[in-house]
Amino acid sequence: MGFQLAFQPTNFLFCFIGVFIGTLVGVLPGLGPVAAMSLLLPVTFNVSPVGAIIILSGIYYGSMYGGSTTSILVNIPGEAASVITCLDGYQMARQGRAGPAIGMAAFGSFIAGTLSIIGLMFLGPFLASMALKFGPPEYFAIMILGLTVLTFLSSGPMWKALLMAAFGLFLSMIGMDNVSGIARLSFNIEEIIDGIGLVPVVMGLFGISEVLINVETSMERSIFAAKIKNLLPTLQDWKASLGPIIRGTILGFCLGILPGAGAVISSFASYAVEKKISKYPEKFGTGLIEGVAGPESANNAASGGAFIPLLSLGIPSNPVTAILLGALIIHGIQPGPVLINEHPDIFWGTVASMYLGNIMLLVLNIPLIGVWVKILKVPYPVLFPLILLFCLIGAYSINNNIADVFIMNIFGVIGYFLRKFRYEPAPLVLALVLGPMMENSLRQSLLMSGGSLFIFLNRPISSVIIITAFSLLLIPLIPRFRKKRPAFSE
Amino acid sequence: MNNDQVSSGIWFLIGVTICLASLQYRIGTLSSPGSGFMPLLSGLAIGFFSIVGFIHATIRRNRGEIWTSILRAVRWEKALIVIISLFAYGFLMGTIGFFLCTFLFIGFLLRVIVPHRWLWVSGGSLLISVASYIVFEVLLRAQMPKGFLGF
Repeated sequence: MGFQLAFQPTNFLFCFIGVFIGTLVGVLPGLGPVAAMSLLLPVTFNVSPVGAIIILSGIYYGSMYGGSTTSILVNIPGEAASVITCLDGYQMARQGRAGPAIGMAAFGSFIAGTLSIIGLMFLGPFLASMALKFGPPEYFAIMILGLTVLTFLSSGPMWKALLMAAFGLFLSMIGMDNVSGIARLSFNIEEIIDGIGLVPVVMGLFGISEVLINVETSMERSIFAAKIKNLLPTLQDWKASLGPIIRGTILGFCLGILPGAGAVISSFASYAVEKKISKYPEKFGTGLIEGVAGPESANNAASGGAFIPLLSLGIPSNPVTAILLGALIIHGIQPGPVLINEHPDIFWGTVASMYLGNIMLLVLNIPLIGVWVKILKVPYPVLFPLILLFCLIGAYSINNNIADVFIMNIFGVIGYFLRKFRYEPAPLVLALVLGPMMENSLRQSLLMSGGSLFIFLNRPISSVIIITAFSLLLIPLIPRFRKKRPAFSE
Repeated sequence: MNNDQVSSGIWFLIGVTICLASLQYRIGTLSSPGSGFMPLLSGLAIGFFSIVGFIHATIRRNRGEIWTSILRAVRWEKALIVIISLFAYGFLMGTIGFFLCTFLFIGFLLRVIVPHRWLWVSGGSLLISVASYIVFEVLLRAQMPKGFLGF
């Protein structure tokens, strides 16, 4: 059924458009998958729900492929999950081995992407059947865990990440209260009575603020000038990379399932593992292909794994899947345990399109390297007005309302200052999405228990999850772990 | 005061404001939470974490971490120009229409942020305006605002 849907000419085209745009977004520094998906969300309103999800998920995993190209050639990561690829990828390029680095990144991504889809195929329906036994306390506990994991893994001090999550929760409360029907905290502003939309907030925080930071600094970048040849890795390269690819896939997939973790953490974790088990750890950072193969496989496997909590529990694990959740809801589909039974076309169509998309990406990436390099040469002073224009059009066309443009602009300014004061906006976005669901499950849980908070500890599943979440909050208090959190960079 | 002391102070004020605003709604009880319950919780959480942050930042201040200007070594006026032009786009789009507004917006940014030649500016902004009009208005039927020119 999934393949029947995926091979329909329109869905096939949507898959191609998604992965092509995703690769382009990954290649272009300054435009990440979150901003790109927000920009294109309104465009998907006119297509079928399956088509919309195929396009948007294609952008997500496509960007993971494309991100490595800029890391290797320019030493600037196309998106956050490819930061670590710069270390060895760029060094390989300087040694004249840009071809094998890009080639191995593409092959590793393909293998990891395909294996993670197989995992999604088997684990998704299993978790969905398990989730039917979940009640409001379990859902609340999972969402708390998701937020806690994301804040735990965020860069910079943990209090900043928790503060961002709390602010995101507050923003999600603005608008109509589902239970009482009262318009809360909208201060009689008609445009926000229905709440603050996710898309203008995300476009402002990620898209506009990124441009603002870029225009005030130097907008020049140097492109690796040497001709790229021999994209196919040698037998020696394969021998060195096979282990990192498999380990990266397993690690990335497991971390991708975890709410709050994701592609960025997976790539860093994979690099750390490879360095730790290597016979020559001191050579990492000097141009080892293992340092490219492992992280690139991990971030692709994580993007596949992230679909599991989204499609089987209806819980997004990162800002990207939060946008996918928004897209599904806009199309009248509520993700959750019953999605696979009620809308099998969405689940299996997405899974099959991901197989197809991974093959397309492999075919696209190898011959199109030259094109991506040319696109990289488009000067930023020409590129940024276009990014801003797409943001403006994207924000307006969600509801054909200028108020959304102003909301996006305001959050662009907020995002600019958050970056300046080194606050990471990802927990804010996840909390904004999870907020209404969290409020409903908390209120239902408290009604069920007659006001006792012990309901979360009396039920086995929720108690394990809540204890895990609180343990994560306490870990930074242990001196040994206190100084190991990565610093935030603008 | 260092940067984190300043920012956590601002967040504390935001937290207090949220708490006060949420008191306008029924807070309810634990067994029957009202509309103001979660906003109050989020306001309290913001206030609490900002206090934690302030203490954390004060400890670092005592170790010698001082205020560093967030606008140091950057051309912040360019970011300000972009912000103003974004808001201007929002104000003008409804009046003068999508096409003309886009033409002026792109032309302004191409000319002001990193100045290009006038021919380049006018040609580039016209090309982008026409292309975006065709893609979004004609092909995708995005129903962008029409101004006094009718498009």
